[in-house]
Amino acid sequence: MANRTVTQPPPPPTILRSRTRPWTVVPVLLVVAIIYSYGWNVTRIDVGQLITKVYLVRPLVRDLVRPDVLRWTPRLQTASASLNFTAEGAPAPGPSVQTGPRVVLSSEVVKPGSPLVIRGEGLAPSRPAAIYWKDQSGATAKALDLRTDAQGEFIVQLTVPDLIGEHHQIVVEVTLEGRQLRPSEAATLVSSRLVETLFLALMGTTIAVIFAVPLSFLGAKNLMTRNPAGTAIYYVVRTVFNITRSVEPLIMATVFAVWVGIGPFAGVLALALHSVASLGKLYSEQIESIDPGPIEAITATGASPLQVVRYAVVPQIIPPFIAFTVYRWDINVRMSTVIGMVGGGGVGFLLIQYINQLLWREAATAVWGITVVVAAMDYASAWIRERVV
Amino acid sequence: MPGAAVRIEHLVKVYPDGTHALQDINLEVKPKEFLVIIGLSGSGKSTLMRCINRLIEPTSGKVYIDDVEVTALNHEELRRLRRQIGMIFQQFNLVKRSSVLTNALSGRLGYLAPQWALINYFPRDVKLQAVENLRRVGIAEKAFTRADQLSGGQQQRVGIARALMQEPRLILADEPVASLDPATSHSVLKHIEELNRQDGVTVMCALHFLSLARRYGTRVVALKAGRIVFTGMPHEIDEHRFKEIYGEEAVEVEIT
Repeated sequence: MANRTVTQPPPPPTILRSRTRPWTVVPVLLVVAIIYSYGWNVTRIDVGQLITKVYLVRPLVRDLVRPDVLRWTPRLQTASASLNFTAEGAPAPGPSVQTGPRVVLSSEVVKPGSPLVIRGEGLAPSRPAAIYWKDQSGATAKALDLRTDAQGEFIVQLTVPDLIGEHHQIVVEVTLEGRQLRPSEAATLVSSRLVETLFLALMGTTIAVIFAVPLSFLGAKNLMTRNPAGTAIYYVVRTVFNITRSVEPLIMATVFAVWVGIGPFAGVLALALHSVASLGKLYSEQIESIDPGPIEAITATGASPLQVVRYAVVPQIIPPFIAFTVYRWDINVRMSTVIGMVGGGGVGFLLIQYINQLLWREAATAVWGITVVVAAMDYASAWIRERVV
Repeated sequence: MPGAAVRIEHLVKVYPDGTHALQDINLEVKPKEFLVIIGLSGSGKSTLMRCINRLIEPTSGKVYIDDVEVTALNHEELRRLRRQIGMIFQQFNLVKRSSVLTNALSGRLGYLAPQWALINYFPRDVKLQAVENLRRVGIAEKAFTRADQLSGGQQQRVGIARALMQEPRLILADEPVASLDPATSHSVLKHIEELNRQDGVTVMCALHFLSLARRYGTRVVALKAGRIVFTGMPHEIDEHRFKEIYGEEAVEVEIT
């Protein structure tokens, strides 16, 4: 007991506790529970339907994953000859060919109702063939099915029907052996409309840039709020930007489709109007965030306001402006699809037609085409933006 | 090209938020002087400089440059006067994305037709002058480099070249070396000193360090809370004066 000093154990470390009492958590949790249960009811969430009604969506999904892109088509051999009701204004006859597939008529100028002898020569032997009337508008009507003989020839006599117009054609199609893979009608249509959509977005963006650049200077706080008149203009421009931006481009497209008719022009106008507001806002925020130092320095050298803008403001805003513009074009390509659905032209208009006709495989072609183009645009715009900023 | 004389009479600047930045400043600067302005941050050095070329509009009082009343000039007359006043900034205020050459050329804009700016045109002799001035500050080989690729000291030398393009009679240098290290500070100040000695340009230069003020100034003015509290020769600032200008707690830091 000589040494009574004992080392005291260190006091237990005090744990910092939050001041929230447990009993305040309960009502909060209760309120959260009420909010979510109401939400569950009001949105009629029914997980069971996801499983029991899957049979409804199965054929649709099956078509969506099998887009109509390529088709096996029979190989055809065609020949044609011109057929006129009056000699006047008839297309000049081509050089008369003596070899290869050709159609020879007993008379090139005929009257409706009169007999016409049609001879086919140099065609594939012993194959099924068909003769079509092709009138002045390009519409075709099948006249007769037949078979070529062993020499690749045929001869038939038909009565000339009453075709609309004066100058027509006789077309002979011989179905050859084998088949070939060709882009489907939907694929060609979708790709041409995708090009239309890309240019629709380009034109919309370009028109928007032309208006947004000058407007953005008027909507930049640091440039405009130096005197009362400027401040007033600033608030007007900003308000117009905000209101315009808040109107859905879908609604604008509907209005313009009524105004200038259904088609890509309505889409261009809707995109342009919406983009003026969003680009204008982005641009003016960019102008507001520039370094004021160079403006001060170049003003101090005795430069005029125009020179100050050109040498102190413009170099600072060009790269971000390019970046925003490319990004906007990218957004507009995506948006023009939706706009097309309400009559703004482009691939969206085609897609909604396919959907309304329940042509799911063709719709799938459009959907996949849009996906590929949008992904490519996304990548391209990111690439450009990386390089200019 | 003789240096300009500056006369300031009863200059007052009150900012819209009520700050009295300058209170009744009276100051005369003789041609070819190297006037150093010292004082704490917020003592009104920057405001005083900017009231001289009216980057900041004075609230009242008069500023004369060679008997021209700056405070009475209209926009166009002021613009013409500014061409003769070079300005050098603490943050260099270069256009970072533009080339060194373009930054130097921009010093000459006041003498050129404004519409040339639209096509980015500078006459050949102006370009040659810019290269010559860049050579003078020792960065001609960086002419086509982007300004933000340069070190701080190099950027400030571009700032000096830009001021040189104006063929100035007065240089306002607002803490030109406050963002630079000691060695670079000297090289930049030597360029300004050379302008003062060789070309006879009047210099008004705000500085933080007394040692630099003593080394380069031909006269020192001290500002405190918007008032001039000292005018005299650099060597006259002793311990007592120093405490008066910078406050009781201040200790002088040497920069060599």
